Amino acid sequence: MSFPILSLLILTPIIGALTLSLSSSTQLKNKTIFLSGLWITTGEFLLSLLLPFFYDKSKNGYQFIEFHTWFDKFDINYYVGVDGVSIPLILLTTFLVPICLLCSINSIQNRAKEFVIYFLLLESFIIGVFVSIDIVIFYVFFEAVLIPMFLIIGIWGGENRLYATFKFFLYTLAGSVLMLLAIIYIISKVKSGNIELISDFTFDQQIELVLFLCFFASFAVKVPMFPFHTWLPDAHVQAPTSGSVILAGVLLKLGAYGFIRLSLPFFEYASLYFQPMIFALSCVAIVYTSIVALRQLDMKKMIAYSSVAHMGFVTIGIFTLTQDGINGAYFQMISHGIVSAALFLIVGVVYERHHTRMISDYSGVTNVMPKYSFFFMVFMLSSVGLPGTSGFVGEFLVIMSTISVSVYLTFFTAIGVILGASYMLLLYKNINFGDLKSDIKQLADLTNIEIFYFSCLAFLTMLLGIYPKLLFEMINKSISLSII
Amino acid sequence: MINLFQFIPEIFILSLILITLCFGLFNKDRAISLNTLGFILLSILLLNYGKDFYSSTQISLNTINLFVLSKIILSIGSIVFILLLKRPLKNENLYRYEYVLFLLFAILGSFVLISSNNFLTAFIGLELQSLSLYLMAAFNTKNLSSNEAGIKYFSLGALSSGFLLFGISMIYYDTGSFNIQNLDNFTAISEIGLSLVLISLFFKVSAAPFHIWTPDVYEGSPTISTLFFATLPKFASLIFLFRVYQELNISDIKSLNYIFQMVCAISLLVGVYGAITQKVIKRLLAFSSINHIGFMLLGIMSYQFMSEGTLFFYLIIYLITTFGIFAVLLNLRTVDGEFTKISQLKGLRFTSNSKSISMLVFFFSLAGIPPFAGFFAKFFILSASINDGFILLSIIAVLSSVIAAFYYLTIIKNMFFNKSEIELLDDNNKTGKVIFISSGLIITLFFIYPDPLINLVDNLFK
Repeated sequence: MSFPILSLLILTPIIGALTLSLSSSTQLKNKTIFLSGLWITTGEFLLSLLLPFFYDKSKNGYQFIEFHTWFDKFDINYYVGVDGVSIPLILLTTFLVPICLLCSINSIQNRAKEFVIYFLLLESFIIGVFVSIDIVIFYVFFEAVLIPMFLIIGIWGGENRLYATFKFFLYTLAGSVLMLLAIIYIISKVKSGNIELISDFTFDQQIELVLFLCFFASFAVKVPMFPFHTWLPDAHVQAPTSGSVILAGVLLKLGAYGFIRLSLPFFEYASLYFQPMIFALSCVAIVYTSIVALRQLDMKKMIAYSSVAHMGFVTIGIFTLTQDGINGAYFQMISHGIVSAALFLIVGVVYERHHTRMISDYSGVTNVMPKYSFFFMVFMLSSVGLPGTSGFVGEFLVIMSTISVSVYLTFFTAIGVILGASYMLLLYKNINFGDLKSDIKQLADLTNIEIFYFSCLAFLTMLLGIYPKLLFEMINKSISLSII
Repeated sequence: MINLFQFIPEIFILSLILITLCFGLFNKDRAISLNTLGFILLSILLLNYGKDFYSSTQISLNTINLFVLSKIILSIGSIVFILLLKRPLKNENLYRYEYVLFLLFAILGSFVLISSNNFLTAFIGLELQSLSLYLMAAFNTKNLSSNEAGIKYFSLGALSSGFLLFGISMIYYDTGSFNIQNLDNFTAISEIGLSLVLISLFFKVSAAPFHIWTPDVYEGSPTISTLFFATLPKFASLIFLFRVYQELNISDIKSLNYIFQMVCAISLLVGVYGAITQKVIKRLLAFSSINHIGFMLLGIMSYQFMSEGTLFFYLIIYLITTFGIFAVLLNLRTVDGEFTKISQLKGLRFTSNSKSISMLVFFFSLAGIPPFAGFFAKFFILSASINDGFILLSIIAVLSSVIAAFYYLTIIKNMFFNKSEIELLDDNNKTGKVIFISSGLIITLFFIYPDPLINLVDNLFK
């Protein structure tokens, strides 16, 4: 296809951001700025909807390929294309960004123009990561994501935002530079940055192990896996609601996407070699962070820890190296992207009204905000993994695929499910039921805008839960290629 | 018979000096703007006929390209510098045409240094350059710290010149020749002599552990002089260091190679370690430049893989970034004098769009975060060094750049996250604004359209 849809997807937000930044800020009202941002991102979403329609599911390999030489001398090219693994994530991104803007119309009062600009840049960088099939351009976008996120947390975050944003940036950077060295080494061996060519190349086994660890350092921080997860609660708690939404919804998936797209096909031997280590870390992540989540007093922190636990399922699923496992992990990624984003929005709704995130400050919310409680329940149950919601399919497939590897693994993942149910139900109970506190009485129920985006998210969770084939059709073929 | 043809660039500058000397007595404004014109002419001359100047000599084509490209960069840098210097000098009542004369002498020294094939000529070039720098450091005669900076620079610089001369004489004693190109059959004495020469050059480019003068001189000198120290003379000395490394095959001499690697590693680490706690922005930039020198030394060592291209590319990006940062700094003043502390940058985001965004670009670029050009500069250097097998040094380099990201982020934090405490005056210097905006654009747009810069470097080394 000659129509450069992927470049257009990358460029639309950037052009939008440029136009916005050139307009004089004094004349524009906040609302106009947000509306124009919304128009751009909605257009982007519609544009990205073209991808699944025109994507040919029967073909192998990448489609919508665009190729331009970039650095001749190093054989590094602007080489983009998508396959079944990247399309759902692109859709998730373009779907979540307008919601992020929608939910901040009221809460972001100062420097609205900058806010919208950073979000637009963030969107285009994230899409850049998902479409690139040259390893250097992948790295460029992967790193560039840090800049707008650093500014979003730092400018609009909570009281401890500087600590959180510095920790976020430096942690991620420290992981990524090792990957950079590995990438350079790979390019010096393969003499090309093309992902497909690198997949065909076999490295020395010892070297492959080292290279795998370098990539692992970067992705494990991003996912985040157990010992590297400490930046996540801080970043989530301090970030504005929209920042948390995009962080939990999409940025965490960059790591898992990296595992599927790069680590597995590049390093088959090392993936198998390090399987036990990753299982061990993921099990610790699932059980330990679930228990930690049980004891949290801050709603956002609890959901942040639950994210770590849920991403533990994803890493286990990916490294079972079976079709079912990766399918399940991928489904869990998408489902977690929707559900955790929704949960952070849920927290944001009451935070905006009551200006506290402490669980103990809320009680009996269901009496004054019935619609809110309804949506909260939908997402809570989906996060727990109730059949019929998207959370169930992913967790079920992952647990099923672990049986072929080890029964102990199944045991720990199952415990994770139970613990997950207990902290989510606890959270729901403490906030929605019980005596109505006097200072909660005047809280207003959801506005129309909020109902709108919550219903979109709820619809998606139900749809994927009831008809998961929609997603599997898309990813099956591409994933089966990446494990062989 | 000496062929004067190859000295045309140097003779050109010399005549510029004489003209400025005569003209400056009557009209300093015009004498200074005349130099802009002169350097524009010189760069056009070099761009078009640069290679012909050396065609009658026996210098290899690669070296000729090196001469021409570095001289072009020096003269373009001088144009930018001369355009920039008027306002800051006027602000401190230092606007005299002698300043430009020192600049011209320093550039002349750099030209001689770059293209010298003989240790004695190199010494003369280096001294000509350094003596002008001492004067520029102490140019603000009424300011105590400026005087201190000048004297500190001079005394330490004189010491290092002594090292250089001593080293040269040892080499002469051993081989009976001053010539750089045909030195071989080293004995231990030559090696000691060469290591002294190297130490002196490390001092000039302020590589650690010979960097002690850098923070003090940077801080004490007038900011416009600091900009000069940080860019052009350092560039010239680095090119000469590169030539010494290449011509003498230092990579084959075990002891010297060892020194080189140690200095590189120490520079990388000392640079970041020193910069973390700094509160004065010029001191921070001094330490950060030491870190970047570490990267450049890595580039010098790994020239075998991709020739001079990577080093030059890094240098060009570094020069552009430094010019941009200083153009912003020179444009800012506090109510009670020059602006010095990082904390005074607080709230710059609210006072000036263009300045804060350019600074954001520059510092993210220095930190090596894509998509800015600084990332690609580091990427190429690291590619070269990994290909040449300097794995450990590369790991040190990337880890140091993570730590470096911390203090660059601190500056960005001050500009973007904090409310302003002190009122910053805007100089509203149009040329300065043009310079920092255009360098910011180059740094950003390189990602989208890298060809012009890459081709410039590439073509000259074909």
